[in-house]
This record gives sequence, C-alpha cells and structure tokens, in this order.
Amino acid sequence: MKYAKVYFEDVAVGDELPPLVKGPIAQIQLTRYAGASGDFNPIHQDDEFAKAAGMGGVFAHGMLSMGFVAQAVTDWAGAGTVRKLGVRFAAVVRLKDVVTCRGRVLAKSSKDDVNCVELEVWAENARGDKVVSGRATVALAART
Amino acid sequence: MPVTVDKSVVGKEYPPFLVAVERGKIKDFARAIGDANPFYLDDRVGAASAWGDVIAPPTFAVTFRDEGADAGVLLRDLGVDISRVLHGEQEFEIFRQLTPGETYLCRMKVVDIYEKTGKSGPMAFVVRDTAITDRTNTIVATMRSIMVIRL
Repeated sequence: MKYAKVYFEDVAVGDELPPLVKGPIAQIQLTRYAGASGDFNPIHQDDEFAKAAGMGGVFAHGMLSMGFVAQAVTDWAGAGTVRKLGVRFAAVVRLKDVVTCRGRVLAKSSKDDVNCVELEVWAENARGDKVVSGRATVALAART
Repeated sequence: MPVTVDKSVVGKEYPPFLVAVERGKIKDFARAIGDANPFYLDDRVGAASAWGDVIAPPTFAVTFRDEGADAGVLLRDLGVDISRVLHGEQEFEIFRQLTPGETYLCRMKVVDIYEKTGKSGPMAFVVRDTAITDRTNTIVATMRSIMVIRL
C-alpha cells in the first residue's frame, strides 16, 4: 500500500523496495523539470544543441532520475525519512525511456535513539542498464 | 580543440547567498518529478504532520541558487562551455526538513578537480560542496555535486 508506514522492526536486511516505474520520458517533463529546478541547460531541451554537443540528442536531467529514486525511497519509507542520498549517474536517460527505480536493504543500525536503514538504490532503463546507482540512509520510527 | 579546466578554482568559495523556500516551488518541484506525496503537496496533511507544514522532497536543495549572481560564473571560472558538462554524481545529507517560509544561507565551495580517462575519453571532475544553514547558523543540509567536463 502506498504511503503505508514502515517501522524499523519490520525491515530486514535483503528486503527489496517495491519497484517504482517512471516514464516514458517526454520532452514536456524535461521542460517542466527545468522550470521547477532552474536547470535550463539546453542539452535537455534542444535536440540540435544536444547533437552538436556530441550527445546524440536530448537526454533527461540526471537530477530528474535522482528525484525518481528519491520517490521510490519515500514511497516505501515515508516522506521526511531520508537522511542521506547519494548517487552516480551511470548512463543517460533518453526520451521515451521507461525508468524503473529499485532498492534493497543493506544494513540496519540504532544509535542515540535514531534507527537507520541503509539502502542500495538504483534505476534502470527498459534494457536493464543501470542509469543511476547509489546509496540512501533513512531514519525509521520504532514500534516500541 | 582540447579543453582544459582551470584547476586554480579548487578552494574557491563563492559568495554566500540566501534562499527563501516558497510553498509553490516545493509543489512545482514535486509535480515535475511526478511525485504526488501528500506531505509535499497537501497543506492540510503538512499542517497535521510532525513538521507542521509541507516539506520539500529530498533533492529539492538542488534548486538553491544565487539569483543575484551570474549563473555562468562557475563555468567561466573553469573555462568550459556548458555543452561539455554532464552531471556525474550528487549527494544530499539532510539533518532537518526544508519547509516553506524558511530562509536558508547557502555556501558553495569547489573542493576538488581531478581528471580521469573513461570509455568515452578524457574527463575532468569538479567537486562542489554546499552547506545550507538556517538563521541560527545551524546546519540543515549539505550537498555534494560532481560535475563532469568532457575534455
């Protein structure tokens, strides 16, 4: 169930996050993300510019894909739980690409009354290539 | 023509700037990602939450920029054209949620520049750290961004 509360005790190492499927990526979403983020690099808007830059055409902002990954994490762990999120942009996301965000629990720890869960997170395109990969740390509430 | 990156930029701290977080900006940002989480979009859900208001999605601080400054100043300092720039890595550490109506101070510094040759040729990596503090000078979040310049 979306936005259901996950408690620290209910999480086990190896658990997988429900996959979040985003896209197909449309130009209008890149334009919208440019406006919302303030990143107006024409390489994400202007196909001729992107081709002249040697990129083979327009591609999505890495930060849009990172936003998708963050959504996959908060859909599972809840809004406001993310303490740390770090990613590497491994490959470009093209128009029409469908991006699936995934995650897996790597470790659990409790210190100073804060219960943290460390996750491996990534996003892949329809061909199964990783476009984003990284780590996240979320702080979860305990039942007790 | 091969591109060179001016490594003397390492250590440079850009002028601190203030950002006032606007409710509508948070919502536009969440909607642009296609994230309909009510803790970002619904004022009533936000008001009833532990934070007392809507909060920003985890990557929202990437929108923080010095509106009063020339947007191209970093690339000019590095001596590179925007068409050669890719985003390599990004990290956020969040100590407190960003909420509407708050004003934050951002300080950005170039901490490292290094070169590597990957499968698509030589590249320079420009590492920037940004510290985000509140009015009491308490750290709220940090971000690290690694920009890739195709040389």
